[in-house]
Amino acid sequence: MKNKNNYIGSSSQIKWYKKDSTQAILMIAPMLIGFFLFTYAPIVYILRYAFYESNGFKDTFIGIENFIRVFTRDLAYWSSLKNALVLTFGKLAVEIPLALLLAVLLNKGRKGTGFFRITFFLPTVISAAIAGLIFSLMFGSFNGTVNGVLQSIGLIERPINWFSSRGSALFVVGFASVWNNFGINMIFFLMALQSVPKDLYECADLDGVNPIQRFFKITLPMIGPTFQVVLLNAIVGSLKMADLILSTTNGQPAGKTEVVMTYVFKYFFGYDGRAIEIGYASAMAIVTAVILALISGLYMKLSNKLGNSY
Amino acid sequence: MRSSKMKKISGNILIYLVLTVVFIVTIFPVFYTLMGSFKSNMELLTNGGRIIPSEFVFDNYKEAWKLANFKQYTSNSLFLAFFIVVGTIITSTVAGYVFERGNFRYKNLIFGMVVSSMFVSLGSLTLYPQLMIAKAFGINTSLWGVIIIRVLSMNVTNLFITRSYIRTISVEIDESAKVDGCSFFRIYISIIFPLLKPLIATLAILTFRFAWNDYLMPMVFTLSNPERMPLVVGIMNLKGSGAAASSWNLMLSGSSIAVIPMIIVYLIFNRYFIEGLTAGAVKG
Repeated sequence: MKNKNNYIGSSSQIKWYKKDSTQAILMIAPMLIGFFLFTYAPIVYILRYAFYESNGFKDTFIGIENFIRVFTRDLAYWSSLKNALVLTFGKLAVEIPLALLLAVLLNKGRKGTGFFRITFFLPTVISAAIAGLIFSLMFGSFNGTVNGVLQSIGLIERPINWFSSRGSALFVVGFASVWNNFGINMIFFLMALQSVPKDLYECADLDGVNPIQRFFKITLPMIGPTFQVVLLNAIVGSLKMADLILSTTNGQPAGKTEVVMTYVFKYFFGYDGRAIEIGYASAMAIVTAVILALISGLYMKLSNKLGNSY
Repeated sequence: MRSSKMKKISGNILIYLVLTVVFIVTIFPVFYTLMGSFKSNMELLTNGGRIIPSEFVFDNYKEAWKLANFKQYTSNSLFLAFFIVVGTIITSTVAGYVFERGNFRYKNLIFGMVVSSMFVSLGSLTLYPQLMIAKAFGINTSLWGVIIIRVLSMNVTNLFITRSYIRTISVEIDESAKVDGCSFFRIYISIIFPLLKPLIATLAILTFRFAWNDYLMPMVFTLSNPERMPLVVGIMNLKGSGAAASSWNLMLSGSSIAVIPMIIVYLIFNRYFIEGLTAGAVKG
């Protein structure tokens, strides 16, 4: 506001202001073009193709047939969505408490805190695809190191075929994902903890509050807003997981570990020997985006108490 | 008194025990990969229980580098990461500057549109249309397509970080430059950009991590052009091929080649990593 008043006065100043705003537009233009081409246009593309049948060469308008197919005939889509939900909530039930616990332990400035913080964050810098590959080698059935170690300490007699059943395969994927992501959440919690005023704890100590009460009555409410955002990011991020599934199970055995993102992706690209069905994939993409938005909206509504806790 | 001291000591022991267990689980997969990359393929396929190789061999790296094309993959990864990092530094700082200091019609409307794109959760589902649009421009079979899309499509997180950083720079600096006859663009080049150095370090590191680790988009763009695959795509390609069982040595040495530079960069610049990621996520 202040700027404007300075320039709008004489005609030469107006000219100057105009020149500056032309330059601003020219500077931002390449990015705006890129933004509309590669962010907005793809959404429009998907919205259009959702009403077509298309194999990439020939398009036929079929109305809402694709949506009818998702909702009534494609059980595999819904089971892939279910897998994404099971995986997300299963792994976050471990990841979030673990990250919070570590943050609390590292917040006190004990010896070695810096060292542990740097190590715990390290997996975060490794590509999800590579993390998945490493875990799938570690959990390999005949020559994997996990089976080897379990056998040599006598916990199991025969090697476990981790990727042969849905339960154990999802366990390995969840494990890999927790490993890959707990560090970042720990850092968020650590940051929030550091902004809690120290005198709150001193008062509590004077009143003889025990550590568990202290955690639930002071710490948790004080970091509530951060907790709300971190959990939302973690939920949405995990539901959108794709790389990790492609690099570990790739949906095997028999599509039982497919998640929603990889399922739709395979229809777009005909990956893994599937036929390319762009129209149908677009319809599933829209349904998925709406479901994700609903989940985030519902979460925000339910977690509002957390966000406004002080 | 004594018992409370005992309690404190045993509490500390318990805490360090927890930290050590997490430390081992955290570091093990990396250690396993490095050790495995020095095992002979024979040992990898027969003895999974032993973590440290019975004999350190370097053949895996030689084979990966020469026969399995990892030399090419590594140079592709460096190429991809370099141009994405440089391009993103330019576009992010320009966008942050224009939206913070610029005055033009519909600025707030455009800013709102850019930011609201964050709420459309399509993620990897827009890859196909992005590829088709790139195809219309003839950039769909090289890494240039990935570079252009990553650099030009505005990253909302980066935009937030740069915009709030520029807000902390006093407007009076701009205004005195204006009085001296500096144009809007000139102020960016000679005043704002040099002041952004600490932020640029953060941006560079975050972008490097992202570009170096990216999998799906470069994979899609190099499907028909395997010569241009970056490291992560090349390694994953081994896993998908029929010879996966016999190429554990290549997968492990390849993963080490992909992971070690990232870890070294992280250990040197860990402060920027942590600052950048937290600033982005909390504001984003």
